[in-house]
Amino acid sequence: MTISPDLTLGLVLGPVHDRLEALSRTRNWYGWAGYAAPASVESVEFEYFALRNQASLFDISPMHKYRLRGRQAEAVLNRLVTRDASKLRPGRVGYAVWCDEEGMVIDDGTLFRLADDDWRLCCQEPMLDWLAEAAWGFDVEIADESYSLAGLALQGPTSFAILDAAGLDVAHLKSFDHAAAEPDLMISRTGFTGDLGYELWMPWDDATAVWDRIWTAGAHLGLRAIGYEAVNIARIEAGFLTAGVDFQPVQATERLNRGLTPFELGLGHMVDFSKGHFNGRRALLSAREAPRSLLMRVDVEGFKPAQGALVYHRKRREVGHITSGIWSPTAKRNIALAHVATPYATRSPTQLWAEVYTQEEGRWEARMARLTPVEGAFFAPPRARATPPARR
Amino acid sequence: MSQFDTIVIGAGVNGLVAGAVLARRGKSVCILEQGDTVGGMAGLTSSDGPALAHLIYNLNSRVRRDIGLGGKDWPFKSKALPTVSLSEDGKHVVVDGAAVRFADGSDHPQATACSDLIRRLTRYGDLLRQLAEAPPPGGDSPVSRAGLKQLWWLGRFGLGVKRLGKSEMRAFLQVLLSNAYDFILDELPDGRLSGILAADAVRGAATGPRSPGTVFSLIYRMGHGGDVTLPQGGTAAVMETLSNAAKQAGCTLKTGAPVVRILTDNDHVTGIETASGDRVYAKQVLSSVAPLPTARLAGLHHFDIEATRRIRNIRARGTTAKVNLRLSRAPVIPGLPGNLLGARLLFAPSADYVEQAFNPAKYGDMSSAPVIEAVLPAPQMDRPWLSTIVQYAPSDLSGGWTDAAREELLQTTLATLARISPTLPELVEEAQVITPDLIEQATGAPGGHWHHAEMSLDQLLTIRPANLLGRYAIGPKGLFLCGAATHPGGDIMGLSGRNAALMALEKTG
Repeated sequence: MTISPDLTLGLVLGPVHDRLEALSRTRNWYGWAGYAAPASVESVEFEYFALRNQASLFDISPMHKYRLRGRQAEAVLNRLVTRDASKLRPGRVGYAVWCDEEGMVIDDGTLFRLADDDWRLCCQEPMLDWLAEAAWGFDVEIADESYSLAGLALQGPTSFAILDAAGLDVAHLKSFDHAAAEPDLMISRTGFTGDLGYELWMPWDDATAVWDRIWTAGAHLGLRAIGYEAVNIARIEAGFLTAGVDFQPVQATERLNRGLTPFELGLGHMVDFSKGHFNGRRALLSAREAPRSLLMRVDVEGFKPAQGALVYHRKRREVGHITSGIWSPTAKRNIALAHVATPYATRSPTQLWAEVYTQEEGRWEARMARLTPVEGAFFAPPRARATPPARR
Repeated sequence: MSQFDTIVIGAGVNGLVAGAVLARRGKSVCILEQGDTVGGMAGLTSSDGPALAHLIYNLNSRVRRDIGLGGKDWPFKSKALPTVSLSEDGKHVVVDGAAVRFADGSDHPQATACSDLIRRLTRYGDLLRQLAEAPPPGGDSPVSRAGLKQLWWLGRFGLGVKRLGKSEMRAFLQVLLSNAYDFILDELPDGRLSGILAADAVRGAATGPRSPGTVFSLIYRMGHGGDVTLPQGGTAAVMETLSNAAKQAGCTLKTGAPVVRILTDNDHVTGIETASGDRVYAKQVLSSVAPLPTARLAGLHHFDIEATRRIRNIRARGTTAKVNLRLSRAPVIPGLPGNLLGARLLFAPSADYVEQAFNPAKYGDMSSAPVIEAVLPAPQMDRPWLSTIVQYAPSDLSGGWTDAAREELLQTTLATLARISPTLPELVEEAQVITPDLIEQATGAPGGHWHHAEMSLDQLLTIRPANLLGRYAIGPKGLFLCGAATHPGGDIMGLSGRNAALMALEKTG
């Protein structure tokens, strides 16, 4: 692997930067874990609709990836995450969150069980030192694969057809399955869009070849390279959380009490108290019954995205804020994720309002938009789970 | 299968005290000791040599009361020893209580300054002792009963500080966290006097007199009046008293029963398993073993990741070796009258000497000119033992503690003793060199450190042995630390065990 810093950006170039640069019309790069990642490639609208109606390709190599191997890898992971890792079979992927000793979420990510004693953890935040802490005294070997393993997210209704056209057979993969499609090419049926989609994992230096192979196969299936802005719309529609946006990874906070428990993030189902001790268990046992706030999925009245708006109870008392808010082109709704203090989040959830600012021809106005709580994802198409998946 | 209310791991000073305190409050207690005898590190002996701890100075009277030995006195007799600061020129200095003179009876020019200083330190020590006599504050709401009790304790301490008077209070607060070297030399230019205090400030510690916080350790050491006493019958008599008290209180005491596992169920301790596979069940386990070995007994996976990190970063670097010398007859020390042969003999001719002795230890070497505290418990006896504490002999000696390294330490010790008694080495018939690695091997104390964890400012009070571990409870419910690693530390005080027992009682009612 070679790192070629682009001095004009001050960012490291990812494994498929050549391809992205050739495609990029917007030149809209942003820093993702130090890498130059596209916020958009051509136009966010094209990219979003490709994702939902055709297929999209997005480089996820800047994710942090860690390999845990050894006799006690399962014990270490079970000590780390709140769910019961031992229930994850080889060939499966699991969403997981992990907490500090006070029960505050450090990060979330996906846990791949490659074999009985061979695991991979993918997450947003750098986690090597924390994993090393968790593994101290245990028989496990930890390798940082962040810079040796590349990842490409192929997402959208035609993604299965594209893989098929590329000669990669993944018809048997159910949601959250993974398999080695070829030596040095692992494919998991996972993603950050709530749609049918796959993530392809390969050695860093193979990424361009895999990109080209997918690109060629996708030529007639509507494949587009996309940037993060389109992914962000899709992930909010799916109701997924972004570290640093919808919660603050507690180890990266400097102020007191900025951490949140899984219960406060609506991830209570991820906490398994019956599996034995795990980090933060004692704190979570007492925090379980007393969440300070709740992360809610809400419908926002009107069509102005409510990103960053403060949330009021009965239009008077400030009780929270919107962490992510967009107009959902597919759900045709104005949707948002909101942190709302208890008891307002549960006691009278119909009396929550977001203070949205609108600007019309130079005049700013504050408008109270009613919030309506929504259960589950805003958009969860059945095609995302159908096995074998539809071809288009 | 046997069932108790509480199991105590280790029958050292703190284990025995913890067991006795709990049993006297109506708990059924089982004390399990890995060795064949009780007494732990303090009582550690090699064949018939003297015990590791040869003098007692901090044994606490609240402990005596709480283990049922009454409010008056300990059942064993003990004798306060004068301290002799040995000098190569034969002009030894004797400190007896607060009285200071030359060994030949003549007056010492700095006698008054030294007496004043000792009285001041003893007074400060009296204050710090109050902090030692209760679990460190914290953890409880100030409106709870426990919280109010803590406030009362703190208030009493504050009042005590206030009662020193304005200038004394200022002086106390000024010196408390500073280094012993500057503090002592301000008052006592005479090396023989400054050497005593400098050596006392660092004994057992991985510090030199110039290290910060050494005034605190010096004061702490004088928390019980400052007398250094030799118990009749030696340390064994003290241990026998404590173990009798434990038995009297109703404890079941099992020796030769090393605990290999602390059993838990659903985040509660349920008992222990011994090396022979026997299980003893109890809802509470108090461990006088150091924090990391205790955590390993229960299994590291029962501890939060941050807790494990804190536990393994506790500093415990032993620096002190015990060298016991069997002499063919009582030695002759030029300039020292025979009646002082039974005193505490200290070779620390100046504060600088002590600091220089520490220098090699910083880099993993033993002192070439060590500080020695020697006691001849029975000088009149035939072939008496000379019991010496030799500093510095770091646990992390470069090259490790090989037989050759031990021999080198012995020769260095003899050469140093020869500086004040040239004929002494010829009298040695037998030598026992008990280095920190052997102490660790025998007791499990990390680094062979006699406090299990360095008594430094970052490992004291509420943050002893580490942040958030200062309230004795650790890991799964029902598991407590009760050893020297906890507040207020070792030094044969017995308070760690007693405070832990009180805390365990508070948690169960």
